[in-house]
Amino acid sequence: MKKSLVVIFVLLLCVFSFAAKELVLWHSYSTTSGEYKVLTEKVIPDFEKTHPGVKIVETQVSSDEMRKRLVVSTASQDFPDLMRMDIIWVPQFGNIDVLMKLDKEFPAEFNKMKDEFLEGPLSTCKWDGNYYGLPLDTNTRVLLWNKKLFNEAGLSHPPRTMDEFFEDIKLLTKDNDGDGEIDQWGFADSGLGPWNSIPWIYSAGGEILNSDNNTAEGHVNSKQSVAILNEYKELYDEGCISDIVTGSGGIGALEGYAENIYAMVISGPWGHSIIKGQYPDAEINYALMPAGENGSRSVVGGEDIVMFQSTKYKQEAFEFMKYITSYDVQLEFAKVGQMPVLKSIADDPFIRNHDYFGIYMQQLKTAVARSPHPAWNEIEDSIATAWEDTVIGDYDAKDSLDSAAEDIEDILSEY
Amino acid sequence: MTRNKKRALTGILFILPGLISYLLWTIYPILNSFFMSMFKWNINPKIPNQFIGIENYINLFKDEKFYTALINTLKYTVVTVPGQLILGLIIAILLNRKAKGSTFFRLLYYLPVVTSWVVVSVLFQYLFSSRGGMVNYILKDILHFIPKNIKWLSDPSKAMIPIYILGIWKGIGWSMLIFLAGLQGIPKIYYEAAQLDGASSWKQVKHITLPLLRPTMIFQIVMLTIGGFNVFLSVFVMTGGGPRGSTEVLSSYMFKEAFSYFHFGYASAISFVFFIIVFTISQIQRKFLNKDI
Repeated sequence: MKKSLVVIFVLLLCVFSFAAKELVLWHSYSTTSGEYKVLTEKVIPDFEKTHPGVKIVETQVSSDEMRKRLVVSTASQDFPDLMRMDIIWVPQFGNIDVLMKLDKEFPAEFNKMKDEFLEGPLSTCKWDGNYYGLPLDTNTRVLLWNKKLFNEAGLSHPPRTMDEFFEDIKLLTKDNDGDGEIDQWGFADSGLGPWNSIPWIYSAGGEILNSDNNTAEGHVNSKQSVAILNEYKELYDEGCISDIVTGSGGIGALEGYAENIYAMVISGPWGHSIIKGQYPDAEINYALMPAGENGSRSVVGGEDIVMFQSTKYKQEAFEFMKYITSYDVQLEFAKVGQMPVLKSIADDPFIRNHDYFGIYMQQLKTAVARSPHPAWNEIEDSIATAWEDTVIGDYDAKDSLDSAAEDIEDILSEY
Repeated sequence: MTRNKKRALTGILFILPGLISYLLWTIYPILNSFFMSMFKWNINPKIPNQFIGIENYINLFKDEKFYTALINTLKYTVVTVPGQLILGLIIAILLNRKAKGSTFFRLLYYLPVVTSWVVVSVLFQYLFSSRGGMVNYILKDILHFIPKNIKWLSDPSKAMIPIYILGIWKGIGWSMLIFLAGLQGIPKIYYEAAQLDGASSWKQVKHITLPLLRPTMIFQIVMLTIGGFNVFLSVFVMTGGGPRGSTEVLSSYMFKEAFSYFHFGYASAISFVFFIIVFTISQIQRKFLNKDI
């Protein structure tokens, strides 16, 4: 009896001492997606093979639930070790001190690797002088132009400059059935928020905040920022921009593009699969955002990989972060449609020969991140309101943006 | 232990589970949200919260967006409560007979109540699309009531209308069901007596049905008002509070302040003021409506 107890005790001891170091990873990859397959069937098993004793437990949380779940986690101090986090959330959760400052914790390694990342995506990890994550995947928006409608209007190429865009959009807006109402629009987009407006604002030479992300006055309401809002408003009033931008409902931007209703839309790389899913025969033509005073600029989207301060296995977690952002893994993810974040990968034959990654990677070189600031959600609402006030509410563009500047200054003063 | 004490103890033991859950899930959150509203509250417990007294309340009473949200919530309640009540009552009276198919119709009217808010909100978003939406199609292309498509969801002066209609449509079934239960509690002899006296159908409704439904009505007014104040998902899904903040309601504003902006203290102040308003209105309703029949 005694003997068997000892045996059990020794066995238990063995189990515990050899128990794997478990790292919990939260993500919102849809479980039916190609990315999820790569993560669970390739990335995690390969990592575990080369790192014996480390086990990655992936937990899928739908993107609608994720934020609530994370807030509850914060309140109860019960975090995962790692997470694939929306770039907008990183400064916000960094600011409330739950994310690991990578440049403080792993200064040598971090500094060595940080230049390998595209600048736009990397900037989304930074807040108040510290880096709270590594870019994991990225995207941006480029112009999709409908060749058929362009040809019908006697145009042979997409607009390269904003001036060309303003001319083309008028030629592409038509009343085809002659009932007195426009039924073909030059341009359509899904809304009036910064995700939609930043490509226009920044290409035109406008801004939202200064480069240190601490001043709005003179930037969000700069001469160029006001001018582009005025131009947009004029085009909207002339009927050249579909009223789906105001959330009135109706046929979506991508569907309308495929149905030859909208001649130009701007979309992220997912536009391809959405259009092809419903309209396998649709022809999609890509172009860079029309260049304005400040060149061709677009907006950065995507996710970062972050580590929580509460993790018991910092080094192992960092190893996984390095692994998931390594060239081979990034390429593996690229093959299922996730855009890579490494500069060097742009020259890989796979990317160069890809249907549309090439143009997105090119746009990404100059794409700007939505100002990485913990209060971005508030700033975003403030800018969206200014654009809505002018486009829908007929308020003077300068007044709207002046009042946004005042609001944002108030918001920034809290930090 | 005396007999009385023993009986009291038994009684307390019986209500204890309910009492505990009431204290834990109702009273504690109310007190805690009041406590939080006195701070610049940080969601991370490791960071000390800054006590700011009533500053959140002062800011609240100066906040235009709060007033817009409050007014929208009040309007929603004022429109949807009578809407549900009147339509629910009419349908209940029509279905309160042993006609063929009445069970089917009861089921049909109750269906929206058990359908998910998110699903019907998305559906209404489609119905009220300015182009290709069914409502505009019927009004403009079939009935020719309107010359141009109405921008239901993007015109700040109209965006609340689809939300009202959804709220009423979804609530009728519940109101009908409660009225049906109330109607079935009215003894048939009253109607028989009235018929003998030669009262018309309308007179029967006016002098028998309505007065005897009073308790049901009071119950519904109180419940629907509370429900009206809680409007959230339809706004969240259909308009997200826009365009230009024109459909923001108290719950959506509170949600935004807490979960989007991380202003948990401020959101708690909103929720506490919200609680006081709903509590006061419910008390007033009870006082004024709860007269004997």
